[in-house]
Amino acid sequence: MKNIVIIGGGVAGMEAARQLLALGYTPIIVEKANALGGHVASWYRLFPDMTPASEIISRLKKEIAPANVFTGTKVISISREKGDYSLTLDNGVSILAGAVLFATGFKVFDASKKEEYGYGVYDRVITNRDLEAWLSGGEDKRISAPKAIGFVHCVGSRDLKAGNSQCSKVCCTTAIKQAIEMKEKFPKAEIYCFYMDLRLFGKKYEDFYINAQRDFGVHFIRGRVSEVGETIDGRLQVKAEDTLSGKPLKVQVDNLVLMSGMVCNQSVSELVRQARLDIDDDGFLRSRNNIFDILESNRPGIFYAGACTGTKTVPETLAEARAAALEIHNYLQNG
Amino acid sequence: MIDRIPSGFNPFVIPFLVGMGFVFAYCIYALVKILLQLSFEDRKKFFLSLVNPKTAAKNIRDMFCDCLFHVKLWKRNPLLGYMHSSIAFGWFMLIVLGHIEVILFVPTRINLFYYPIFFNFFVAEADQTMKGSLLFFMMDFFLLVVLSGIALAMVKRVRSRLFGMRRTARPSLVNTIGLYALWAIFPLRLLAETFTAHISGGSFLTGPANWIFRQFLGNDLHYLPTWWAYSIVLGIFMCVLPFSRYMHIPAEMLLIPMRNAGLKIRNARKGLTRVQVFTCPNCGVCIDACPMSVSKENIKDCTVYLTRQIRRGNEKRIAEISDKCLLCGKCEALCQVGVQGPEIRIQQRAIRDYSIRQDFSDIAVNEVRKSHVVYFSGCMSQLVPSVGRSVESVLKKAGVEVEWMDRDGGLCCGRPMLTAGKTEEARSLVAKNTEMILSSGADTLVVSCPICYRMFVENYALPGVRVVHYSVYFDELVKAGRLHLTKSDLCYVYHDPCELGRGCGIYDEPRRLVGQSAAIAESDRCRKESICCGGSLGSLSLTFRQREKITRAALENLYASKADAIATACPLCKATLSRFSDRPVRDIAEIIDLQSR
Repeated sequence: MKNIVIIGGGVAGMEAARQLLALGYTPIIVEKANALGGHVASWYRLFPDMTPASEIISRLKKEIAPANVFTGTKVISISREKGDYSLTLDNGVSILAGAVLFATGFKVFDASKKEEYGYGVYDRVITNRDLEAWLSGGEDKRISAPKAIGFVHCVGSRDLKAGNSQCSKVCCTTAIKQAIEMKEKFPKAEIYCFYMDLRLFGKKYEDFYINAQRDFGVHFIRGRVSEVGETIDGRLQVKAEDTLSGKPLKVQVDNLVLMSGMVCNQSVSELVRQARLDIDDDGFLRSRNNIFDILESNRPGIFYAGACTGTKTVPETLAEARAAALEIHNYLQNG
Repeated sequence: MIDRIPSGFNPFVIPFLVGMGFVFAYCIYALVKILLQLSFEDRKKFFLSLVNPKTAAKNIRDMFCDCLFHVKLWKRNPLLGYMHSSIAFGWFMLIVLGHIEVILFVPTRINLFYYPIFFNFFVAEADQTMKGSLLFFMMDFFLLVVLSGIALAMVKRVRSRLFGMRRTARPSLVNTIGLYALWAIFPLRLLAETFTAHISGGSFLTGPANWIFRQFLGNDLHYLPTWWAYSIVLGIFMCVLPFSRYMHIPAEMLLIPMRNAGLKIRNARKGLTRVQVFTCPNCGVCIDACPMSVSKENIKDCTVYLTRQIRRGNEKRIAEISDKCLLCGKCEALCQVGVQGPEIRIQQRAIRDYSIRQDFSDIAVNEVRKSHVVYFSGCMSQLVPSVGRSVESVLKKAGVEVEWMDRDGGLCCGRPMLTAGKTEEARSLVAKNTEMILSSGADTLVVSCPICYRMFVENYALPGVRVVHYSVYFDELVKAGRLHLTKSDLCYVYHDPCELGRGCGIYDEPRRLVGQSAAIAESDRCRKESICCGGSLGSLSLTFRQREKITRAALENLYASKADAIATACPLCKATLSRFSDRPVRDIAEIIDLQSR
């Protein structure tokens, strides 16, 4: 039986491996980090049902136990060999694979590139990821009994100046989730969300938003933050415009959370070049067709799943991973 | 040497005379018109400068260096310099020597001004003298010089890279006619003088060539048609000259004294603008210079095409070209004749009818506390807060008591309005800021943003206040021993911000500061050739995708130095470069703050 290599051991790679195991294959997962789980593993809870992320990850890990997993390993070369792909890993292993699945995901936008928001300049400006780490029980000196917290939506997303035109899809609802979580921890704190518009497209997302307003008193302000300054006592002064009332406003907060978006994962660009895969304008991998062949690349035997082709939510990624497993199965059966 | 033709006339000189007369008439008409277009003050300034011995001497020197010897081109590329100066200076010498010949040998004909041009047709050599052969030798020599230049010009048409030019401007129809006429003039002159060399005498070039031709040409019937052809191409060249790029030959002789008189561009089409438009020789140096030309679609938006469209009066294209430009000033810095591309563009924007006019009259003026030193950070240093914080921290370390006049929000310096052509709006902002600064009683205004700095220097009148960019101020503090720097292990490459470098001529102080606090490397294109970061506020219509390409090109240039990090002295450059940079980008203020005690 031919080998199947899955590059990336996040939720996409793991779910695809789980389905391939069910179909009778023994896939090989190559993950560059030292543990499986990807970005989801560093998250605390997932919207809209506040599902603990660790629950998803540990379940996936348990079910893919029979697969071959290389963690802390990178694919350093890939080349076509008579209908198969020859891959070399940085631990010296080489694999001849009948099919390769790119589940290489995304990168979180580096918020310090938007210096006007002050990440890396002012101590109390943090990102959505920093906040998740703290919620998961991590230490963070920057957060201590805040009286007011601001959330800035669309940091590095839908921002041509930052080179990203795409919507990251998850940040609106993540901000709502984190606002609720902060309100639960600090019931007296005022919470402000600064947004361009709210994209609450998924099941129960709108309810979640109404919930945050009605039951938790989160303030939603339509308007982008123009700049952030620091007051003498170390608080943050946020300047924004409320475009609904048409007035500029200034708010002082103790923490400002930047909703860093998803951007393409450039660390795979060398591999992509070797495999001669097409790249889209936004830097993500280009599917053969955005309706019918989202999971197929321009090269036979190479498939995609998850956020490597564009921003996606966790359920979307899982659905794609399952479909990709089936695509690979069909390809190997017929090919 | 004797006069061969008693009447001193032959009909073949008519095409030349027509062309010459036309050029003269046109140039006089244009000169008068342009002088009338100048404002009264400018005209007075111009005429006074002509009689000022110092400027007059500079005018003559510049005309020789720029128009005849093309010194700037030699510095840019010796082959390009030789090509231009050989044609210009060689041709000039042919005309001068022709006059000397007429004065020496047929002084009665000096009033016929075609005589020096067609001297060899009208005379016969009666006796050989040293004087005559020396002049003939020099005539042949300079003809050879011009011919070598023409040969190089032909090579340049196909292989411009040999001359250090990646791209050249696409010639328009009238330019092509002028070009071929120019190319034909000198080979035809060689042939004409060769055919008559046995009558009028010749030297090392025309003499032997005459002998060779006479071996197989049995009679003298061919020489008159050749002189006709020579005269006709001269006539064609002069008739198309006012409508072609060759107008730069007479126009530059007006631009040089105007520039030395200190005139500024004040009108979108008239006066100095018109002279600069005429002076643009369409060489296309600005195409390679323009940072936008990394995208092929923007090549036709370089200054050479702006001057061309202004001559054609194509309003749509003039507006497009004027709006797209980043106003980085590189085309102006590298222009061989001194066409001020950015200033001409700003004037085009200023004549536009904006339907909405901003009104700043009701914006409150901040109270600025009395202080000797006032710091103006500007909008960009607020959006890139590390810059303002570092400047403040460094000043504190040096013991400078400073009042940050726009810490909690201030007023724009006005430059974005000015470059958008909204002169009135800019003026109202200037007035408000002036009031605030003067009320503080400050004697020094420290500015951290080069965009604001240039505005303060060029458009503010602040009596008794020294406006200084922080890089210059910090450099003085270090020299005075008030700031002590230690060297880090990092190696920085310094990116020259357009407004600070080309705009205000500050190149050395930032480098000195970086050099004292770290190792410093230079990129290939630095100082006045530095590439705009792509973030410039100057452009009104470039898309972010097009800007990204420019940013990446600027970064590639900086990466080539193999430095670990990039230093700059402009918050906008820092923000723009750091978006796409693979290595840290720091403002000099941050570096100094890290490395000082």
